[in-house]
Amino acid sequence: MHLNNFLAVVFVAAIVALVSTASAAADTPSDTMYWQSAASGAQEAYFEEELPPGIQVVATALDGPVYADANGRTLYRWPLRALRNGSTGDRKDGPSNCTDEVLRTEVGFMSPYPAGLVLPYAEQGVSCTQVWPPVLASDDAVEMGKWSLADRADGSKQWAYDGFPLYSSHLDKKAGDVLGGTKIGSGGDGGVVRVPAGPLPDIPPGFKVLGSSTGRLLVNGDDYSVYSWDGDEANISNCVEECLNSWTPVRAPQVSADSGDWTIIKHPSGINQWAFRSRPLYTHNNDSRSRSFDGSDVPGWSNVYTQRAVTPPDEFTVQDAAFGGQVLADSRGRTIYLYNCRDDSVAQLACDHPDAAQDYRLAICGNGDPEVCRETFPYVVAEADASSESSLWSVMLIDPNTGRRVGESATASAAANGDGEGALPVWAYNQRPVYTYGGDQTPGETRGDSFGEFLGRRNGYKAFVLRDVFQNLHFRR
Amino acid sequence: MSQNRTAIKARKLRTLALCITTLAAASAATAQPYQQDGRIGYVLTERHWAIHETEAKTECPQGMNSRGSRDLFAEQFPEGGDGERTVVDTRLMIEGYQYHTNTATTDIYDSLPFYEAQGDVSYGLNLDGEVSADDFKNSAGEEGIDNQLYRALGCIAGYRKDGPYWFFENDFMINNGYNRWMIELSGVDDLVNDDEVTVTTYRGLDKLFTDATGEGFIAGGTQRVDARWGQSFVEEVKGRIKDGVLTTEPITQAKIPWSQPGVSDGYHIFKDLQLQLTLTSQVAQGLMAGYVDVEQFNHRFRTNWSSHHQNYGQSASASEYAALKRLADAYPDPETGANTAISGAVEVTLTQVYIVHPDE
Repeated sequence: MHLNNFLAVVFVAAIVALVSTASAAADTPSDTMYWQSAASGAQEAYFEEELPPGIQVVATALDGPVYADANGRTLYRWPLRALRNGSTGDRKDGPSNCTDEVLRTEVGFMSPYPAGLVLPYAEQGVSCTQVWPPVLASDDAVEMGKWSLADRADGSKQWAYDGFPLYSSHLDKKAGDVLGGTKIGSGGDGGVVRVPAGPLPDIPPGFKVLGSSTGRLLVNGDDYSVYSWDGDEANISNCVEECLNSWTPVRAPQVSADSGDWTIIKHPSGINQWAFRSRPLYTHNNDSRSRSFDGSDVPGWSNVYTQRAVTPPDEFTVQDAAFGGQVLADSRGRTIYLYNCRDDSVAQLACDHPDAAQDYRLAICGNGDPEVCRETFPYVVAEADASSESSLWSVMLIDPNTGRRVGESATASAAANGDGEGALPVWAYNQRPVYTYGGDQTPGETRGDSFGEFLGRRNGYKAFVLRDVFQNLHFRR
Repeated sequence: MSQNRTAIKARKLRTLALCITTLAAASAATAQPYQQDGRIGYVLTERHWAIHETEAKTECPQGMNSRGSRDLFAEQFPEGGDGERTVVDTRLMIEGYQYHTNTATTDIYDSLPFYEAQGDVSYGLNLDGEVSADDFKNSAGEEGIDNQLYRALGCIAGYRKDGPYWFFENDFMINNGYNRWMIELSGVDDLVNDDEVTVTTYRGLDKLFTDATGEGFIAGGTQRVDARWGQSFVEEVKGRIKDGVLTTEPITQAKIPWSQPGVSDGYHIFKDLQLQLTLTSQVAQGLMAGYVDVEQFNHRFRTNWSSHHQNYGQSASASEYAALKRLADAYPDPETGANTAISGAVEVTLTQVYIVHPDE
């Protein structure tokens, strides 16, 4: 009896320590937890490889380094994926399925609707290659490394990387734009998406980099988060004795060597330990789930990113949410939502941009009625002269009745008045307006999440999740 | 000498056996979790809407409902009909109605028949303490059972045993930690008869404790209380235990986590929520019943299940909405007088856990 009681006490004490550590420091400032300042300049390093003429590597604000053409436009691939009723996209080492064919009808891959429904833009003569111009190679182009040439039906040759034909996006205008897709996990029932092509991150074996809503998160080979500590010095670990009860140094193999941002230090215990940008790395003993941010709740400890996103506009806030995590919110604490849309043409074109057909969005947010739309998912109105140090955020003029972007010729007075007849200056993320949800009554509510088809991924709204304890939705678009 | 060593060895073996026996007896004597501090916790490990089903389906004499968006599409926009079928006039019309049923002026599903469950037998509790013409009897013959939600959903295949909602909502409850709902009884003197206990609901942080197959759940696991994000799921109510059955006073309004994967925040609102659970030191099993908020039921359904997946159950949130409104039987809207909540019941099984509070 005494032995059982003793063991029970030991067990409960261990649990209490775990809980106390996790809840003791829930006030870690989100600015340093999730983002970096624009002045930081920290960017993900990558493995260099030989590139064809005219191809370059460009740094981006959220997706790390990407391959780009000579004009700096991001290159994308379109991997084949299965939808509910069929597949589309490009097969590895196969030809491009993005053609000059004018798109007129849906193909019925999405379910539950049949093929043959006439698209809203059917009379505009839109083809896949207009929206996704193929990256054509010169006649004398030579394959090298992972760079190969795919034959197109018209006899031209298209660059392919790792077997997948490459495209640029008609939305990208300048170097660093990644408006056509993301490295963050997306697609599935949300449509067959394009993914930016880029070099591999410069990380040792035993690590991974995961795309998230706040940047490129470093994890170990088992997807468990790695952390750094303000109590350490450059390439010196001070985590000993009691500290080791909660934190375990990330060990470096004997055969490893320093390289770039990575150094191998000697932990006071005698083992070799990895350090990234001179900060020794640890895992958090109390992380019960992979991809955790629980360790960052402890003062002085932080998740490690190869590159964080730059801080959003000053007026935005971070709110705890009942789903178990945090969301980006407006100044009143109302959750920010992103709108997602892809049509069901064979080309799976995006319909979530303010220059695209707005029929999809108006159906979901207002049953076709723009006024109901504005009540259900109001725009996040910005001051006409507002700006953000993050290139991901901008102020855009929107016609609130059509949902379309207004040209720069829209009158400033109409914009300043917020007049429904005139253009409205609204905050936009990746050149797409963001919204709040009229049904969210208190800060941190996310009742508008998944409002739309296929949980808001195909034609609908998703909360801007920064952290999700239970479902890791911040690693998903 | 050898005989002495043998005797010593035998004595040692007997002593060891005695120690093991004593420890085992001691373990059995302290096996009741509540006996240490009057607390015992249970975590939800199975839940299904209480739907009374017969093998002959006599409760659905007209058959099962076939009222998903696919059925509507086939009825209203048949192939080979007049003119071209456009995305805007067909798919987006249906999707638009799906998300604005509460403000739309017409019910686009009205052209399809809707079959309510028939008969006067159902599972549930007598929520209002009365016996009225619309009430059911349970299988034990007890009258006054309030479960109009069964009337609305009983002939929809998705909610019946082995239907997609029946199966997947339970499966994702188990596998999605957001849904970790638990109750803690405190002030427990006896798990068989106790005139007053306190029941507190929480959301937990941890995975469920399964057996070696991964399919069954065993008592004795641990659940930390989600004190940081789970505050909206915390409620406290008085109850009593009589002959091993816990019953509680109504909880005025309870938010129950009920989310499918990929959705940030699915939940139901139950008003006047009551529990009726048969308790052992390992399991609590029975009913959770109350008035389910209709608008939240509809909102949760349309955000947690895509049209594609709703069609697995030959249903659509929009096609059920009218029935829910029609059969709603409580909480009238102060302006319109229309009832806003519908009586319902959930069959639940909870498994004993050690609940750990942050301040312990």
